[in-house]
Amino acid sequence: MANLLWLQGGACSGNTMSFLNAEEPSACDLVTDFGINILWHPSLGVELGNNLQQLLKDCVSGKIKLDIFVFEGTVVNAPDGTGTWNRFAGRPMKEWVKELSAVADFVVAIGDCATWGGIPAIAPNPSDSVGLQFLKKNHGGALGKAFKSKAGLPVINIPGCPAHPDWVSQILVAVATGRAGDLTLDEYQRPKTFFQSFTQTGCTRNMHFAYKVSSTQFGQRNGCLFYDLGCRGPMTHSPCNRILWNRQSSKTRAGMPCLGCTEPEFPFHDLMPGTVFKTQTVMGVPKELPTGVEKNSYIKYTGAAKAAAPKWAEEDMFVV
Amino acid sequence: MAGTTQTLDISPVGRVEGDLDVRVDIEDGVVVNAWTQAELFRGFEVILRGKDPQAGLVVTPRACGICGASHLTCASWALDTAWGTEVPRNAILARNIGQLSESLQSLPRHHYALFMIDMVNKNYKDSKYFEEAVRRYSPFTGTNYEIGVTLSARPVEIYALFGGQWPHSSYMVPGGVMCAPTLTDVTRSWGILEHFRKNWIEPVWLGCSIERYEEIKTYEDFLNWLDEKPEHANSDLGMFWKMSMDIGLDKFGVGCGRYVTWGYLPNEDKYQKPTIAGRNAAMWMPSGTYDAASDSHKLMEQAFCREDMAHAWYEETGPTHPFDRVTKPIAKNPPDFNGKYSWATAVSHQDLGRLEAGPLARQLVYGGNHTESWQHHDGLVLDMYKKMGGASVLLRHFARMHEFKAIYRNIEHCLREFKLNDPWYIKPKEKDGQGWGATEAIRGALCHWIDVKDGKIKNYQIIAPTTWNVGPRNSANARGPIEEALVGTPIKDPSDPVEVGHVARSYDSCLVCTVHAHDAKTGEELARFRTA
Repeated sequence: MANLLWLQGGACSGNTMSFLNAEEPSACDLVTDFGINILWHPSLGVELGNNLQQLLKDCVSGKIKLDIFVFEGTVVNAPDGTGTWNRFAGRPMKEWVKELSAVADFVVAIGDCATWGGIPAIAPNPSDSVGLQFLKKNHGGALGKAFKSKAGLPVINIPGCPAHPDWVSQILVAVATGRAGDLTLDEYQRPKTFFQSFTQTGCTRNMHFAYKVSSTQFGQRNGCLFYDLGCRGPMTHSPCNRILWNRQSSKTRAGMPCLGCTEPEFPFHDLMPGTVFKTQTVMGVPKELPTGVEKNSYIKYTGAAKAAAPKWAEEDMFVV
Repeated sequence: MAGTTQTLDISPVGRVEGDLDVRVDIEDGVVVNAWTQAELFRGFEVILRGKDPQAGLVVTPRACGICGASHLTCASWALDTAWGTEVPRNAILARNIGQLSESLQSLPRHHYALFMIDMVNKNYKDSKYFEEAVRRYSPFTGTNYEIGVTLSARPVEIYALFGGQWPHSSYMVPGGVMCAPTLTDVTRSWGILEHFRKNWIEPVWLGCSIERYEEIKTYEDFLNWLDEKPEHANSDLGMFWKMSMDIGLDKFGVGCGRYVTWGYLPNEDKYQKPTIAGRNAAMWMPSGTYDAASDSHKLMEQAFCREDMAHAWYEETGPTHPFDRVTKPIAKNPPDFNGKYSWATAVSHQDLGRLEAGPLARQLVYGGNHTESWQHHDGLVLDMYKKMGGASVLLRHFARMHEFKAIYRNIEHCLREFKLNDPWYIKPKEKDGQGWGATEAIRGALCHWIDVKDGKIKNYQIIAPTTWNVGPRNSANARGPIEEALVGTPIKDPSDPVEVGHVARSYDSCLVCTVHAHDAKTGEELARFRTA
C-alpha cells in the first residue's frame, strides 16, 4: 500500500479533471487494484476544516507515512514572498508544500503550473508563481535545485496543460509496483518513456508535413499545421499522437495547432500580438524549425519535398 | 446553552474547486451568520493585458479546468462580437456540442465524486439508507461511485473528436472552429452517446428510458414516477431523492430567492452574425431572471451587471459595470470579517440586487413565459420549487441532474444538423472594438468582456458563476447568495460540519474562476484589470 496525498496550489483543476478520465487503470483501479491509498485530494477528499488540517500535520510529523506527494498548480509566493494570496488549511500553501515534500518518498509535479509555472507565470507573473523545481527553464523553483525526495529522486515532472491521464497513472503504477528504478528522466526531469518522442510522432498530418502541403486556414481537413498556423508539433516532446486523448484524438488530428504545452516555455512568445496561431517567419522561413534541423537544410528539403509532392497530397485525404 | 454563539472557521471546505474558507456563527446548533472567503489569487487579467487579441482563447480555458469549454465559448463569442465576424452554421453546432459534452460529463462526476460521498458521513449512520449509501457511494470503492466516475469520462470523448482533447483545447476561434469533422467523427460520437445512455443514464441513474423520464412534467408526476416501479425507486436518482428527504436536505440551503441565467446554445440559424444586442433572441436555452417574491421572469442583459468591492480585497467600492471597472486592490490580504475578507467581488443586477447563478437558476427561468416559442421551456423544477416551499440543497442538486435530458437531446440535435460538406470557418478581419461573450457553464452564468485597442487586449474581464454565488457582502452589508444559503443550516457535529459542505457543494462552487488579479509591486497599473 502506498499513501498518496494530492494538493493544488495556483491551479485550475484541469489535471485533476484529466486524471479522472484515466483508463487502464482508472482512478478507482489505482486504489482497488494497485493499493494506492489516496489520503486526501481537494476535489475528492472526504475531510474538511480541522480534520484535514490534522491529517496534514500527521503527514508532516511522520505519524502518517507519506509515500507519494502529488502537486498540481503553481506555488504562489505573492505578495512579497509571503504566499498569503494562496492560503490553504489555515496557512500559506507554500509552507505546506515545503514540509510535505521533505517527508515524501516521491514528489510528483503534475501539469505545467506545478512543473514550470505554466499560464499563471506568464509575464508579468502577478501571483509570483513558480513550479516545484523550475520556473520556465530555470532550475530551482519552490524546492530548490538540490532537492531530492526521500527516495533519492528530484521532483518527477509530468508536464502538459493538462497532463494526459495516462502519463500520470502509469507513473503512479510504476511507483506502486516497485518499478520506480526504471524511471529515467530528461534534463527537465520529465520521464523519458513519454517525453523523448515528438508530438508530431504519429500525427495523421505527417504526410502533408513531408510534402510541404500547408493548412492555410482553420477548418481544413488536410494540410500540415506547421507551415502557417504556428503548430509546434515537430519541436515539442510529447506522446499526444501515440497515446491519444480521451481515447479518440489529438489536437493536431482535430485541426488545432500544437501549442507546445509540454515544454517549459509554454505559452511561447508570451502570447504577444501576432504570435497566436501564426507561424513566425523570416523571409518565408519559420523562425523556429523542427528540432535538429538547420535553416539551409530546411530550405533544401522543403524545396525538394514540394517538387516531389504527389497530386494526392494536395487533395482531401480525410474526406466525408 | 441557549443564546451562546459559537464561531467556527472552516479551512478548507474542500470539494469545491479552488480554495474556499467559510466562517459560520452557530446558535443552538444552527448557523445564524456566515462569511465565504475566496482564498486563491492568480491574476489572469493582468496576464492578458497587452497580449494578442486571441490570447484569451489560450488563457481563459485555463481559468478553470472544469469549465474550460465554457470559457472558450465565451472567449470566442466575445471576439466574434468585437470583430463583427460571420460564424458558419456548422461551427455554431460544433461549439455547442463541445459545451454540451463538457456539461454532460460534469453531471455524474459532480454527483458521485463531489456530492454523494457526503452521504456516507457518520452523521447519517442512523438513516435507513445509510448502509446502502456506503455500498454505492463510498469514495473509490463504492459500486456506483466507480461506475459514475469511470463513465463520466465518456461524453468528453465526443469533445475530443471535435476539439482534439478535453480539458484545454482552443478549437473554437472567432469565425468558427478549427476542426472539420468527417462522417466517422459524427457516427463515433453517436456511438459514445448511446453507450453513455445504455450504461449510465438509463440503467443506473433513472431505472427507466429517457422517454419515460421526459413524461414527468409536475412534482406529482415525479412522485408517482418514484413509486411506479422498484427500478425507479432503487435508481441512483431515486436513492438520492429518498435519502436526501430522509436526512433533511430539503430543509436548508435556501439562498437569496432571485436567480439569473445568460442563456446558452446559440441557434445555428439565428446567430451567424453575432452581436451583443441580438443575443437573447438567438439562444436555444433562454436568458432571464426569476424573482420568487414577485413570481416574475425578465430577460437578462449584460448592461445590468454591477460589481461591488466594499468587502473584497480592493480599495474601490463600486458598484461598477465590468467594462468600467478600475480595480484598486489592497496590498495585503488579512481577513477582516467586518471589513474585507475575500478575493471575490459582490456581483449584482442593477435592479434586482444579488442573484443566484447555476442549474437551479436556469431551470426556474425555463419555467417562465417571457421567452420565444421556439426556445427551451420546462416547468418541472419551477413547479417543485413552488410546491416544496422554495430552494434547498436537495432541489438545487436535483435541478443540476435534471438538466441531463436537455443536454442529451441537444447533442442529438447537433449530430443530426451537421452538414459535413459545408464550411466550418470563415476567416474574419481583425479590428479594434468591444466584445462580450456569455454562456452557461454547468455551474452557472459565465461571461467575458473584451476591449481590443491598437491590435491588442486593453482590458479583459470575467464574471464567473461563482463570482455571483460566493461573493462577500456588498456595501449595503447584504450577504452573498451562499452566505445567505448557509444561514439556517443545522450543524450536528461542529468538529465535522458536513452540512456546510452540502450547501457549498449544492452550488458546485468554483473558486478558481473567482480569483482576481493585482500586482503587489506595481499595483496601480495592473489594478485596472481583473479576471478569472
